[in-house]
Amino acid sequence: MNNALWVYVQLNGQKVEPTSLQLITKARQIAEGRPVVALLAEDLTTNAEETVKEYGPDEIIVLKDDHFTQPTDGELADALFQVVSANTPNGLLFPATVQGRSVAPRLQAKLRTGLTADCLDVYYDGEDLIQVKPTYGDDIMCEILCPDHRPQMATVRPNTFNAEKVTGANVKITTATFTFHSEANIEVVSEKPIISSSANIADAKIVVALGRGADNDKTIALAEKAAAKLGGMVGVSRPLTDNPKFSHESQIGQSGNTIAPDLLINLGVSGAVQYTVGIENAGKVVSVNTDDKAPIFAVSDFGYVGTANEFLEALVNDIK
Amino acid sequence: MKIVVCIKQVPVGAVKIDPETHNLVRSNVEGDINPYDRNAIEAAIQLKEQAGGEVILLSMGPDSYISSLRDGLAMGADSAVLLSSRAFGGADTLATAYTLAAGIKKIGNVDLILFGRQSVDADTGQVGPIVAEDLAIPQITFAENIELHDHNVLVVKRLLDSAVQEVKVTLPAVVSVRAELNQPRYENPLNIQTSFEKSVTIWSEKDLDLDNSQIGQAGSPTVVRKVYAPDKATKQMEQLPTHASKAVTQLLSELNN
Repeated sequence: MNNALWVYVQLNGQKVEPTSLQLITKARQIAEGRPVVALLAEDLTTNAEETVKEYGPDEIIVLKDDHFTQPTDGELADALFQVVSANTPNGLLFPATVQGRSVAPRLQAKLRTGLTADCLDVYYDGEDLIQVKPTYGDDIMCEILCPDHRPQMATVRPNTFNAEKVTGANVKITTATFTFHSEANIEVVSEKPIISSSANIADAKIVVALGRGADNDKTIALAEKAAAKLGGMVGVSRPLTDNPKFSHESQIGQSGNTIAPDLLINLGVSGAVQYTVGIENAGKVVSVNTDDKAPIFAVSDFGYVGTANEFLEALVNDIK
Repeated sequence: MKIVVCIKQVPVGAVKIDPETHNLVRSNVEGDINPYDRNAIEAAIQLKEQAGGEVILLSMGPDSYISSLRDGLAMGADSAVLLSSRAFGGADTLATAYTLAAGIKKIGNVDLILFGRQSVDADTGQVGPIVAEDLAIPQITFAENIELHDHNVLVVKRLLDSAVQEVKVTLPAVVSVRAELNQPRYENPLNIQTSFEKSVTIWSEKDLDLDNSQIGQAGSPTVVRKVYAPDKATKQMEQLPTHASKAVTQLLSELNN
């Protein structure tokens, strides 16, 4: 058993998932003297430690094997388990991405320890890693801990923290000893990058967001026009993910994306906590709602009481 | 094909916090099938329509969960199993998955276990992968397309963070599905009627091959220390004029300052 705080470094192709770098910075801030260790599994042609070391972990443990180009969840969990169980770190953080949320529980089951999903904050209180996550319902947050098992595992929501480079850090790079075991009965046939992945709502500087009160074709078309004119993107609250035009990728809030635009315009969004938890890092917030008591106005810098369409028509007219 | 769909009942409406235990109080709150689990049930019924076989719903929770199981039966599942006992109470994802895995072993000869992508209350999505590990079978999470290729081979399209993956699996396997996969069918009156003739079996820890240290609160490594309503960072809002074009003009000029 050791007292280190480990961060899993996810690769998307050969690129490091930004959330992993955010978590290295966060880990350095909360570690209270514990070593911060980045855990990386890559194929022989990838050299992600060059990127990772700029963010100043104390150590990078690298698992090298050509199967890591396209591993299954089970294969990745098995390889990580060999290295994690040989060290039993104090804490182990994963990005709450698709890969993190798939591999971390499988690894947890092998380790028989606790795992908290989709945390918005993590910090130490003595030896306990306090894991803060929102839960459904009446504005509820939970603090979860794992007192008797190690490592204390959590997945942490993307874009909740900033990644900061560290100059002149002394980073030790260690090659892990493990054996890659191919998983029977399952094969990753292909993996194709999504071309539009650069246009991610989480990274957009301007977001025009649609809620239940804006779920009609005319408003959606106007919102798209306004977003295009502003150089922004259209996002939605959860009810609109039922509209075939939108998917989970454009969803804002709990179980969707945390966004941090400079300008956010909410249209017909009532402001349930499942939504507002995803916009806490937004800069200027403008909200349009026909209900002057809508909770969204409490987290807004500017409020307009009226219909989304009249506001959008004026906006589209006015933007040069 | 013998398909088990794991479902969870989630609260509808307000949830309270127990001041003593700090647990969420779900009693007295109306419950419904977790919406994502309806996509899993739909996927199971579609596979049964292609390949034949049966669809069994599985849940863990108090007897009040039977109403959600009946809803799933009314969609077209064949039978349901509820794992219900005080001994299962206070379970986190690890203990829940362990118990579900024991239920799946008892059902026996299961080819495919389907989950919704995550629950809308706890939002973890962890139980599917843990069940897969406990049963030592492959998993495919976040499926957005499932094709039956042979009587026991599935090709699944899976949307990753910045890639689309195609995965081929020989059953048995665990698959969790995205809402984009399908449109869950409505319960028709005939199916609602026949759902009351379908069997709902209840098993407790005595019916399952379990290590009692792995179930309920004892088998749960995580502890809820505190549940609270977060301080909302309220902002000082500026009310814009009621006339839309005046509102926009004022807004744009202030944003540009």
